[in-house]
Amino acid sequence: MVDEKRAPAPMDRVWSFFTSVKLAIVTLIVLAATSIFGTIIEQNQPPEKYHQVYEDWAFALLDRLNLFDMYHSSWFLFILVLFTVNLSCCTIDRFPKMLKVVRNPRRKLDENLEKTLSLSDRWKRKGALSDWSGKYADALSSSFAKPAVTEDGGAVHLYSEAGVASRFGVYVVHTSIVIIFVGAILGNVLGFKGYVNIPEGEAVSQVPVRGGSRVQDLGFTLRCNAFSLETYPSGQPKAYKSDLSVIDGGRETLRKTIVVNDPLRYNGIWFYQSSYGQAGGATAQVTVAKRDGTPAGSLSLAANEPVPIAGYGVVRGINYDRNFQGNGPALQVAVEKPGKPAVSFWILQGRPELDRRRDDTLVFSFGGLNSKMYTGLQVAKDPGVNVVWFGCALMVVGLIMAFFLSHQRVWVRLSPGADGRVEVVLAASASRNRLAFEKKFERILTGVKAEGQ
Amino acid sequence: MSNVILFNLTTVLFGVASGLYLGALYAKKDGIAVAGTWVCVLAAVVSTAALGLRWYESYMMGIGRIPVTNLYESLVFFAWAVNLFYLIVERKYRSRTFGAFVMPIAFFTMLFAIKNDSSIQPLVPALQSYWLHAHVITCFIGYAAFAVSAGVALMYLLKARQEAAKATEGVVGLFPGTKTLDDLVYRAIIWGFPFLTAGIITGAAWANYAWGTYWSWDPKETWSLIVWLVYAAFLHARITRGWHGRRAAILSITGFLATVMCYLGVNLVLSGLHSYGGG
Repeated sequence: MVDEKRAPAPMDRVWSFFTSVKLAIVTLIVLAATSIFGTIIEQNQPPEKYHQVYEDWAFALLDRLNLFDMYHSSWFLFILVLFTVNLSCCTIDRFPKMLKVVRNPRRKLDENLEKTLSLSDRWKRKGALSDWSGKYADALSSSFAKPAVTEDGGAVHLYSEAGVASRFGVYVVHTSIVIIFVGAILGNVLGFKGYVNIPEGEAVSQVPVRGGSRVQDLGFTLRCNAFSLETYPSGQPKAYKSDLSVIDGGRETLRKTIVVNDPLRYNGIWFYQSSYGQAGGATAQVTVAKRDGTPAGSLSLAANEPVPIAGYGVVRGINYDRNFQGNGPALQVAVEKPGKPAVSFWILQGRPELDRRRDDTLVFSFGGLNSKMYTGLQVAKDPGVNVVWFGCALMVVGLIMAFFLSHQRVWVRLSPGADGRVEVVLAASASRNRLAFEKKFERILTGVKAEGQ
Repeated sequence: MSNVILFNLTTVLFGVASGLYLGALYAKKDGIAVAGTWVCVLAAVVSTAALGLRWYESYMMGIGRIPVTNLYESLVFFAWAVNLFYLIVERKYRSRTFGAFVMPIAFFTMLFAIKNDSSIQPLVPALQSYWLHAHVITCFIGYAAFAVSAGVALMYLLKARQEAAKATEGVVGLFPGTKTLDDLVYRAIIWGFPFLTAGIITGAAWANYAWGTYWSWDPKETWSLIVWLVYAAFLHARITRGWHGRRAAILSITGFLATVMCYLGVNLVLSGLHSYGGG
């Protein structure tokens, strides 16, 4: 005898491995469990930092397992690929079958089907079968959905359905995950991420790319006109603002003041407010006037940098006090006149008239300290990001389809009874939320039954 | 601040409701549980008023913002959502026994909340975004649904053990049947899962708008993904025979533990981008 039951071909076994829900559950749990490591072990830190925390053998082991950058390691990537292959295969395997089932639903309510349906009712009516089938088709249209009519050996079957989309929700979600991965790969391959500091008044046309020595040309110039920091009355930061200009082709094509959560975008490149700081030393603003009060210009004094005034001498700012003897901010100035010993004196920001008391040809007043700031900007170009958002939107739609829609089906069979009357059977099923559907079923049943009475 | 007084009152009401539900189970008197329901309704009114008042008070201070921006506020918002979600479940399933397992979650959350700084602080620049609203609300509806699911999953495990022993006496005997419990564990998750998904997506969108990266494997992000993966595993387990019931209940409880880790553990134990752990 020849054994009819052969072992499944190797390819079939591979296919059924990749299309199994069990593999999906295992992969999901393995992904969840392994992801924990990277939240406990700080990722992408310099080796010195790890050596402070871990013994040499532990460091070697963790390094070997790529646990210091695990989300980009080949083994984690392998699980992600397995996950993607699994959900793709499941979709490829099941989607066409589902499509076939949905396109060719069981339009006839035969006895086998009737037995599987828990919601059903039957009754009899006098009259012509074709009259009743027409009436019931209309009743079904108004209380549920327009039915398909099938005649079969004297009997008439009505079939109507709603919420077919719910059957496809799961495939929409699976597809959306693949789309999100495609978007992420596109962004990684075609985009870049960088970071740049721009001092006030200066401009850049290149940015260093993160995690490498490469420099990215912007194709235009970005200038920081000013940076400012606003605080709440309590002193907590309220806003970091950078006034930025884009200079493209020799002229300013865009100007925008960005804050955190409101970036600037130009030619697909985004600039995000990320950091700030002091650029270089501070300068003291000093205005100069003659004794009679006529203005004689202004000075910007960097610490200890001599600034000459023609016909007078050399002026230097040598000291600054935020609160000089309780009188507020003050600047100590040293003046050297030709052939005379240097003299130094304090000028107060809050009391400009005091310097008149010094018997001199020029009167100085202190306008305050001016510190130059730089703004720190994250720079990103990600051509895949819209693909990712499309995938995300699709995922939400798919979840709603899968969880909140229900494939509801109603059958009516009219057949000639032995007593000359028309035998009617109405039966229904719902793919989910059956409790709620029972009430709907009662309404449909009442609606149909009342027809022609 | 008067909103804090109302939140303190809410805490007391949650405690009373928990006590009534538990008392009803032990005394086997549904009347006590009915009183529990009314206390829950009152607590819903008081806590909603407290949230509204806190929002209003922040405007009066000149720093108007939604009251979901630090640990205190997020905890009271979570408790508020759990209470509301529970009331819907109770109404829909017409069983008050769930209260004994769900309302203590809200009560202990409030007890934990009132130990934290309750002052209204202005928003740091990173939080000044419209994404904040969508992100926090979706996440917390998800969390609340998972809390309800885990409470019911615990009931399922107790009930299943009793049914296996063919016993019907005691408190557990009053629980709805395992089929109903299993169904509710699942139903709460199919509400929670899309909201968690939306919460992760709005978080990613926000991160992209604030920093230019929608995903950076920050511990908070990673833990939200872990939670998502556990519930995804749960949903797949449901469609495979043999993973109904007990294993599904264990996955639901595991998912909620991961949720608690994501929500609190990451801030209290690990370091990351979310602010409210510092307080």
